[in-house]
Amino acid sequence: MNKRNHQDTSGGAGYGGIRKSDFQSKAKIWEEGQDAGGGGGVDELLAVLGYKVKCSEMTDVADKLEQLEMVMGAAPNLLRDTVHYNPSDLSGWLQSMLSELNNSPNTFHDRMLQSHHIDDPLHVPAESSSVTTNSQQQQFETTQSSRIYNDDSEYDLRAIPGSAAYPQTQDRERNQKRLKTSGGSNSAPPLLPSSSPIVGVAAAGTVSEPTRSIVLVDSHETGVQLVHTLMACAEAVQQDNLKLADALVKHVELLAASQAGAMGKVATYFAEALARRIYKIYPQDCLDASYSDILQMHFYETCPYLKFAHFTANQAILEAFATASKVHVIDFGLKQGMQWPALIQALALRPGGPPAFRLTGIGPPQADNTDALQQVGWKLAQLAEAIGVEFQFRGFVATSLADIDPSMVDIRPDEAVAVNSVFELHPMLARPGAIDKVLSSIKSMKPKILTIVEQEANHNGPVFVERFTEALHYYSSLFDSLEGSGLVPSTQDLLMSEVYLGEQICNVVASDGADRVERHETLSQWRVRMGTAGFELVHLGSNAFKQASMLLALFAGGDGYRVEENNGCLMLGWHTRPLIATSAWQLIVSDSP
Amino acid sequence: MMAASNEVNLNESKMVVPLNTWVLISNFKLAYNLLRRPDGTFNRHLAEFLDRKVPANTKPVLGVFSFDVIIDRSTSLLSRIYRPADGEQPQLNIADLEKPVTAEVVPVIIFFHGGSFAHSSANSAIYDTLCRRLVSICKVVVVSVNYRRAPENRYPCAYDDGWAALNWVNSSSWLQSKDSKVHIYLAGDSSGGNIVHHVALRAVESDIEVLGNILLNPMFGGQERTESEKRLDGKYFVTIQDRDWYWRAFLPEGEDRDHPACNPFGPKGNFLEGIKFPKSLVVVASLDLIQDRQLAYVKGLEKAGQKVKLLYLEQATIGFYLLPNNNHFYTVMDEISNFVGSDC
Repeated sequence: MNKRNHQDTSGGAGYGGIRKSDFQSKAKIWEEGQDAGGGGGVDELLAVLGYKVKCSEMTDVADKLEQLEMVMGAAPNLLRDTVHYNPSDLSGWLQSMLSELNNSPNTFHDRMLQSHHIDDPLHVPAESSSVTTNSQQQQFETTQSSRIYNDDSEYDLRAIPGSAAYPQTQDRERNQKRLKTSGGSNSAPPLLPSSSPIVGVAAAGTVSEPTRSIVLVDSHETGVQLVHTLMACAEAVQQDNLKLADALVKHVELLAASQAGAMGKVATYFAEALARRIYKIYPQDCLDASYSDILQMHFYETCPYLKFAHFTANQAILEAFATASKVHVIDFGLKQGMQWPALIQALALRPGGPPAFRLTGIGPPQADNTDALQQVGWKLAQLAEAIGVEFQFRGFVATSLADIDPSMVDIRPDEAVAVNSVFELHPMLARPGAIDKVLSSIKSMKPKILTIVEQEANHNGPVFVERFTEALHYYSSLFDSLEGSGLVPSTQDLLMSEVYLGEQICNVVASDGADRVERHETLSQWRVRMGTAGFELVHLGSNAFKQASMLLALFAGGDGYRVEENNGCLMLGWHTRPLIATSAWQLIVSDSP
Repeated sequence: MMAASNEVNLNESKMVVPLNTWVLISNFKLAYNLLRRPDGTFNRHLAEFLDRKVPANTKPVLGVFSFDVIIDRSTSLLSRIYRPADGEQPQLNIADLEKPVTAEVVPVIIFFHGGSFAHSSANSAIYDTLCRRLVSICKVVVVSVNYRRAPENRYPCAYDDGWAALNWVNSSSWLQSKDSKVHIYLAGDSSGGNIVHHVALRAVESDIEVLGNILLNPMFGGQERTESEKRLDGKYFVTIQDRDWYWRAFLPEGEDRDHPACNPFGPKGNFLEGIKFPKSLVVVASLDLIQDRQLAYVKGLEKAGQKVKLLYLEQATIGFYLLPNNNHFYTVMDEISNFVGSDC
């Protein structure tokens, strides 16, 4: 009897099984619940609901809840402006609120006094000693946010993603004017961190069963027959029955032509990729770099994925750079540098003045030997000059990130380093040893923060049909979002975005070996890899979440896009299907500071 | 003084539920307190950040798989479909998801999650898990509706979405039983239970047949303070104050709690005599402060000559069905199985 109760309360069968139990009294249940699970086990019933609580901690967590309950009852507004991190770690979440309550300024009067220490951000201090200390900074920002933080306020986005990122000279004055007023009480410096990040434990143990999630359009638009034929074709290819595969792919093309909407377009790209695989016409190794940059620009303009990636990565970088007087960002894929104007602008607005900012941009060799990197660097330098941020740029041409020798990068001892990778790590999985080499290089750069954005999908499985199916679902959702977001981008933007994605589809389906670079893996998979490599997660919090959500509302048009928090990381998805994930990492702190 | 009585309250609720249940519901209580603002606005960003969500999964887990469908693009209305996996299938493709159901009779439960009209979603972990359990225990297909929430979307948005979902289910040929009809039941907890009633009411005048309503701790109210509200205020996770806030957020501005959405058998309520209303299963927890309203609802159905079964659970609090660690959970699952199995 006891054993059964034990199993039921800690829930061996995650979904509760079908056994009934005879409980004598509720008090007994409570006791059983306490004893069940013993040592280091996690309460399985709560785990299924998204909360990680060790059985041995349950009483302590209950105590924390009671404490918070009592404080909240007495003063309900105390936690209104708290930044939250990783709600799955209930104990940690509760503790951080309790700590905040213990640390916050006691009187309203104190808060008001502190608010008068706002510096004019245009007055760049010559010495780093004028930069406020961490705890003062934190209190200041709490003050700022508690006076200004208002969900309904006009969100004055300093970040201006998109083609307006590089202001022309006539904008210079406008920028300066905007900056002058930022010292006043109405400015909300949106990209500033509200509090120092709470470091979480690398979720190395959270690799869950691989899921396959789909968002479907209403039945009559799914093109069931189309999908069936695509799948059958993929099967035939896998079994090397090329005659059948050929017949099927032609049938797909026919069906796709008469299929309305996103499904028809996706099917066409997949059919083309299958055809290439069947006829062994493999796509060229890599697209001309400038062409792929152009495609990505269109993708950037059309939908919010890249903007989200840049925005969330910048949030983490800004928090990591909070008090540094010299900062150095190493961008693993500079491309057109679209991520950096927003960061530079945010740095310019930092209370106490901007740090000196160095950017190292890495990019592939250009077909026509132009120095694309320098061109981007120059544009960024103009912007930085216009808004008063000391800026240095260096470009590195590399065919592969694995070719980078960290000593070439010129890390200086007194600077805070951020390494940034937006969709640049997964290609490293195409060659054995490359990813380990890259992660090792990163470690030797001693970054304060490493920001990674990757596609949230497993397109790297060993079985072709499985890869194919995963990709079909993933790109169907992506294309659907382009279609259904309610935006009316120029036809060219939309078309180029589709071509951009089409190139990826082609690579996933038609290529293999070292040529297959679109080896996307899920966040769960990256967590394990990063943990093994010696990194731990830096949690992205509710402030980053909120700002990303607001950004979406401004720039994404349709309301199908969703930001989701996932164990300290942020994901952007279309409806319920996560599509990209941003995570921030730091080197595991071994012993003393 | 206040602190002392709070302590008594906390201890009381701790005595009637398992510790992990207490932790779960207290956690929600704390989080929800952070989200409701005195001026009636809601911190939606923080709510979405804190809500634990799970993706759909076409790989069967413990015999159940799920996928999401956009029912109405114009309102972004999405539903999550849960189906029992048949036999050996290790993975399912888009083509298989809407394969026709094969059994003689397949009850389809349209489920409306709770959250007092403001919280949670179809992909919230607590509700995804509950729906999976419903499928595996009661052998049904579940369609969980991601209806629009208050305060951003007031009455009647949630009902409109429920109605849209009902129409969609009714016209989905792959959900038909052997008699070429979809066997539809409506179910919901808290605000979801309230939605069940109102969608069933709307269906009465249509040619859509709803075979039964399942209301789990349904959310009803009224202007007057009932005895159970006064007696149980603040004792078992819920307060009159928070109930009032949610009604203010959901009901049209300026309306009071005798609005028929809130108080269906109240002074402004509808008459249900003589109409073909589905049979109802109403589950009431004895420690739920709005039980007087729920019991009045049952009485209202009885007086109108409608078929209703009341399941009154002693020592049950709100949310007891979120974890399968108590007798009540299994009792309710059994009752639901019988309810949809009997088809009378």
